[in-house]
Amino acid sequence: MTLTPEDIAAIWLSLKVALTATALALPFGFAIAWLIVFRRFRGKVVLEVLINLPLTLPPVVIGFFLLLLLGKNGWIGKLLDASGIPIIFTWKAAVIASATVGFPLLVRSIRLGMESIDQQLIEASRSLGAAWYDTLATIILPLSLRGIMAGSSLMFARSLGEFGATIIVAGNIPGITQTIPLAIYDYASSPSSVTMALSLCMVSVIISVVVLIVHELLGKKLHRRSAL
Amino acid sequence: MRKTLLLLFALLTISMPAMAGELSLSVAASLKEVINELSASYTKKNPGSTFVKNFGPSGTLAGQIENGAPVDLFIAANNQWMDYLKEKKLVDGANAKMLAYNSLVFAGTTTKKVASMNDLLKLDKIAIGSPKSVPAGEYAMTSFKNAGIDNQLAGKLVMAKDVRECLMYAELGEVDGGFVYRTDALLAQKAKLLFVVPQKLYPRVTYPMALTVKAAQNKEAKAFYLFLQGAEAKSVLRKYGFVLK
Amino acid sequence: MNLRIDAEKKQGSFLLQVNADVSGERIGIFGRSGSGKSTLVHLISGLLEPDRGEIYLNDECLFSSAKCVNLSPERRRIAIVFQQAMLFPHLSVKANLLYGYRRCRAENRNIKPETLITILKLQPLMQRGVHNLSGGEKQRVALGRAVLANPRLLLMDEPLSALDDTLRFQIIPYLKSVSEEFGIPYLFISHSILEMQLMAERIVVIKNGSLAETTTPDQLARTSMAQSPKGYLNLLHLADPVQNNGLYAYPWGHNTLLISDGEAKGKSLFELSSRDIILFKQHPEAISARNLLECTVTELFRSDVRVGVVLSANGEKFVAEIVRSAAEDLNITTGSTLFAAIKASSFRKLG
Repeated sequence: MTLTPEDIAAIWLSLKVALTATALALPFGFAIAWLIVFRRFRGKVVLEVLINLPLTLPPVVIGFFLLLLLGKNGWIGKLLDASGIPIIFTWKAAVIASATVGFPLLVRSIRLGMESIDQQLIEASRSLGAAWYDTLATIILPLSLRGIMAGSSLMFARSLGEFGATIIVAGNIPGITQTIPLAIYDYASSPSSVTMALSLCMVSVIISVVVLIVHELLGKKLHRRSAL
Repeated sequence: MRKTLLLLFALLTISMPAMAGELSLSVAASLKEVINELSASYTKKNPGSTFVKNFGPSGTLAGQIENGAPVDLFIAANNQWMDYLKEKKLVDGANAKMLAYNSLVFAGTTTKKVASMNDLLKLDKIAIGSPKSVPAGEYAMTSFKNAGIDNQLAGKLVMAKDVRECLMYAELGEVDGGFVYRTDALLAQKAKLLFVVPQKLYPRVTYPMALTVKAAQNKEAKAFYLFLQGAEAKSVLRKYGFVLK
Repeated sequence: MNLRIDAEKKQGSFLLQVNADVSGERIGIFGRSGSGKSTLVHLISGLLEPDRGEIYLNDECLFSSAKCVNLSPERRRIAIVFQQAMLFPHLSVKANLLYGYRRCRAENRNIKPETLITILKLQPLMQRGVHNLSGGEKQRVALGRAVLANPRLLLMDEPLSALDDTLRFQIIPYLKSVSEEFGIPYLFISHSILEMQLMAERIVVIKNGSLAETTTPDQLARTSMAQSPKGYLNLLHLADPVQNNGLYAYPWGHNTLLISDGEAKGKSLFELSSRDIILFKQHPEAISARNLLECTVTELFRSDVRVGVVLSANGEKFVAEIVRSAAEDLNITTGSTLFAAIKASSFRKLG
């Protein structure tokens, strides 16, 4: 099994993009999950549908919409271009593509974690003198850690495999945006390089297995702290 | 109920593939307009013949044929992929012919002054077809190496899956420009032809074509093959900017 | 403590409408399940907002739809003890206890953790994880946690319903002592008349989402006598027994009671059902029941088809229950002298 320098670049890039996308999405995912589980407001259904949309849309469609939004002629793209911040065809675009595609998975997991918290624990916290943000930080956050961990691993794994949206909005730039899936695709389009793709595929499998093992171990550890 | 079943059955049998008179073509992406026009014209003259066309990067197309895709005629954008199939005895190499020639150019929407290979170093992003499977990208890489700028261009190169995607990137303006064929640049609307790549930096762009071994005995296929070498084909090729000698 | 509440809350098809003004230190809220007690607790503590109305605690406005006041729960200083202890699973026993204390303003911190831990005997539990506690221990910690928040009012929402009998009557003394020791009034919510008798001084009865009446535990027990499976429960606090032929002789005022299920020494609480008392017009010569008390009828009351006879045996009061026809047959009136026979096994030790 041999890996070319481009392959190694692809592996580092994949890990970097997946980690960044997960870290970026976490605070938003947590906030949105909290809103959906603990707050009542008009139009909640609309929010839920919007959040889940990337789950049902083909990733290329998501990539296309992101391109429309962030490209030179897009709403946000125009502003970014004027301030000299390029997004399209940079690794930032790869991060945004992964974050968008994985977001619903993250929110879903955190939601499940939060929903399993007994409402009376929160009532107890409030009646003991904790304001809503205090309760959020000292009770809700620690008790939804399992959901957060599960959501993060899921999102990280999804980001590692993200292809459709990434290739549209970040392009296939070796060393800059060519993540593992894109590199394998490159190899696979050429009949003479199919065996090279295998090495990279093995690496991809190994990383996924490691992520899943970590996820299981963390899950077991946190289970011991679950509610009375 | 019986009627619906009969109708379904009829539809299924009618949509069975490999009809008599249906030719399957795998053609390099840059020949898309030419082959579309020529096949349409051929069908008008020979109503029994229809075409299934697959346009894409020559490397990928060769791979598909290798894996058993039922193709009758293969037209590549370089010799490499035709030789690849010749070696594997999947095409009728003895009767392979050269369809046309082309040249490599750099086209884009960038406002920066770009008139030569060295000017490329001023740019942020340059689109090329992925050299592993797209001849246009392979030609571009070769010219970079020969011009001595390939290392400096690392990190600027956006890989496209075929020469048409390359053109699209150039048109959209998300890259400064892309390496496409002159014939593609002629079709561009927003991207301008900025400079022609000096021929000494890369081998001539050739379009070898051959019938697959499977189709070598097919009368329809042979007839169309001859048609592509005829006067009408030549005039259409010229119209789109291809060179014939 | 004075609580004034005039509020309304609609939840689905259930409407809670309460208008009450109660004063006291130990108030009970009595009602069957589904009567709206839980909703009331949520309204008073601020966890649920009434549709309209007002709530005043010691003349401070907690809620008023007219004045647009709605004090958030953390500012009301009303701590809740839940039916299920609801200890925070990710915190230690100590952290649980101090949760409210830490969030209490310095000037309000009248109760010191050390004092409370001693009173509730929590010291041995401090080192144990929250998951290694028994039901009763959890409830004690929950009580400690609520009290350490230095609340103005303790809301106890059926805190004993999830515990078995032995545990229940072990916790009750803690609940009362904590309230007395630290001077914290409480609202005790329950559907058990026995618990009301032990915990409350005044009772607010909730039926079908509205206030039915305000009464005393004794009155409530009397009115419910006929429907209750065990009639009127006489509660006797006895101490210092003397063993006697396998039975325990407890002094009760100037009387002596022979009880089979006694303790070798110390204080015990016994329950005696009004239905376990047989009344004789005249002294029965020989009787198997070991307890025979000569008493005077001080009061008679009616409860459905039964009659409650309030008797005084050398100053000690208790209630016996008989059917109306029996009352007529024996021609019982206030002032009559009767003999009450009680078996030694009729006394049930509660704790």
